[in-house]
Amino acid sequence: MTWLTFLISGTLLAATPLLIAALGEVVVEKSGVLNLSIEGMMSVGAVTAFIVVFETGNHWLALAAGGVAAIVLSVVFACVVLFALGNQVVSGLAVGLLGIGIAGLAGGSYENMTVAPMARLQIPFLSELPVIGPGLFNHPLPVYLAPLLAVVLWWALKYSKVGLVVRAVGESPESANAVGYNVVGIRFLAIMFGGFLAGVSGAFLCVASSTLWADGMVAGRGWIVIALVVFAMWRVERVVIGAYLFGAASIAELLVQSAGISVPSQLMTSIPYIVTIVAVSILSMDGKRVRLNAPVSLGRVYLGTH
Amino acid sequence: MLNILKKLAMAACVSLVAATAQAEPTKLGFIYPSPTGDVGWAKQLDLAREAVVKEFGDKVSTRVVENVAEGPDAGRVINQMISDGAKFVVLGSFGYFNDGLRLARQFPDVAFLHASGFKQSKNFGTFTARNYEGFYLAGMAGGMVTKSNTLGIVAAFAVPEVVAEVNAIALAVKKVNPDAKIKIVWVNTWFDPAKEQDAARALISQGADVLFSLHQDTPSVVNVGQAQKVFVVNTNSDMTSHGPDAVLASVTTDWAKYFVKEVGDKLADNFNGTDFRGGIADGTVKVVAWNKAISADQMAQIKQAEADLTSGKMHVFAGPLRDQSGTERVAEGANLPDPDIFAMNWLVEGLDGSLPK
Repeated sequence: MTWLTFLISGTLLAATPLLIAALGEVVVEKSGVLNLSIEGMMSVGAVTAFIVVFETGNHWLALAAGGVAAIVLSVVFACVVLFALGNQVVSGLAVGLLGIGIAGLAGGSYENMTVAPMARLQIPFLSELPVIGPGLFNHPLPVYLAPLLAVVLWWALKYSKVGLVVRAVGESPESANAVGYNVVGIRFLAIMFGGFLAGVSGAFLCVASSTLWADGMVAGRGWIVIALVVFAMWRVERVVIGAYLFGAASIAELLVQSAGISVPSQLMTSIPYIVTIVAVSILSMDGKRVRLNAPVSLGRVYLGTH
Repeated sequence: MLNILKKLAMAACVSLVAATAQAEPTKLGFIYPSPTGDVGWAKQLDLAREAVVKEFGDKVSTRVVENVAEGPDAGRVINQMISDGAKFVVLGSFGYFNDGLRLARQFPDVAFLHASGFKQSKNFGTFTARNYEGFYLAGMAGGMVTKSNTLGIVAAFAVPEVVAEVNAIALAVKKVNPDAKIKIVWVNTWFDPAKEQDAARALISQGADVLFSLHQDTPSVVNVGQAQKVFVVNTNSDMTSHGPDAVLASVTTDWAKYFVKEVGDKLADNFNGTDFRGGIADGTVKVVAWNKAISADQMAQIKQAEADLTSGKMHVFAGPLRDQSGTERVAEGANLPDPDIFAMNWLVEGLDGSLPK
């Protein structure tokens, strides 16, 4: 494997979980809810998926189970912020920590265990190309489904009725309610959708990328996801750019070090963050457009019409 | 909130062993920074705890709290243990230092053992492993079996302990294979399995066919080695089960003898806090799980080095030693003294890569 092959394949593997979770978070935030519990949902998804693979050997079932487990956690979050009208920031943090705790507890007896990796896609001809073949076309299927999902979501949020309703609820829940949409119900579904993708994301990280479970293995990726969404100004295409950029920079950092190029490693470690922030900030320099993109009611408690 | 949750998780993990003795058993408390998996640092400490239980039977009862965050959490856990009657507390992480030392002053009748610490008192002992000696032996093996003449190191943080290990590997490799190149990636995290794996893959993409996993507590690098058919030397536990072909050797720590001795001293009311540095000679550091790829001839050389380390005939950091800039650090005929080994902040000549400053 050459360094270029690794740069491509490493980027795809590192970016995929970030992208999957960030796509979910875009939808949640577009509906006007700030979900800070991604880290916990990813952890729950990861441990559930690991247990399922460990016991059944089926990776697809594991990804689905990871998503469903995170949905359960997201329902807790949804109930707290939508029905109990809890502060979204505090509730998100609390549910996130709850998720991390549950994952550690559930995975206790699986700590440091290993499972077989997920089957990789072999595309005739393409997978055999030099450099690009093993770099681009030799990964588990979700690596390719994630950008596909991004395209679908981009279209859905921009052109479909469902997407417009979600955005309307996020912009002005009162108006959406006035024209007859069930604001709480729509937000509830959006949160479940975001939870599902966060769970799948953690599941992918655990059983497709790392193939081991260790308590705390999500290691802050949930927070990177939230930062990506905000810096990408809630736009799907920029989330995609941000996720792959972050993935590429985090791999490049390791490559530069392993090539023996003498650069302070702390600087290298911070480069993915710097590159992503700078790049996405440049894309989002126009303040007016930023305000247009930000869901107006994001983070606000919706009291409803009672 | 995290603390409360961790507490809940901990409460479920707390295990109470023994306690059926006629006489009131002496209570021993063990605090680990990570969960006790089937491998890793906490597991090695727990094996030593089991040895203590086996040795003293009904005379002791042990209690374990695992996955305790460094900081205020640790203070509370230690306090709780002492108020529950613990007379002997093992602090399994350097980060428990402040709380441990404070409580040691407050409770002079409780004996403490503190991992990697540097400060001792009558009831506060410290223990450190000379892992670098183990990595010297494993480094010899690495230099012998490499075909690409490129070895890679995935290193956690550039703390003196890890730097000393990196240097020991480099010296050993150069000794058996002067043409070999060594590349380092500092991941700058104690815990991020996915990133550690990416670092391992990066080194492999640069041609490394032997990897050293320095202080990764999970089999992250071993998994990559197994999948990509390269050798891995790992830290803490025997990880052969995670990479039967990949594990070249595992540098493990065995605290059993030390814990048994210290607990025995405590039971005899004879405890005195010392600075214990265990290495190859006393059996604290053991290199196990040697791979079959090492020939009998090569193994004999390694065993000879091990015997020389044990007898004191050889020292890992024997002079003359130069650092990367060419400055002489240890003169011909001298050995690097202990305080300098445990404060190492320079890399030996001949290493690719730099030290985070």
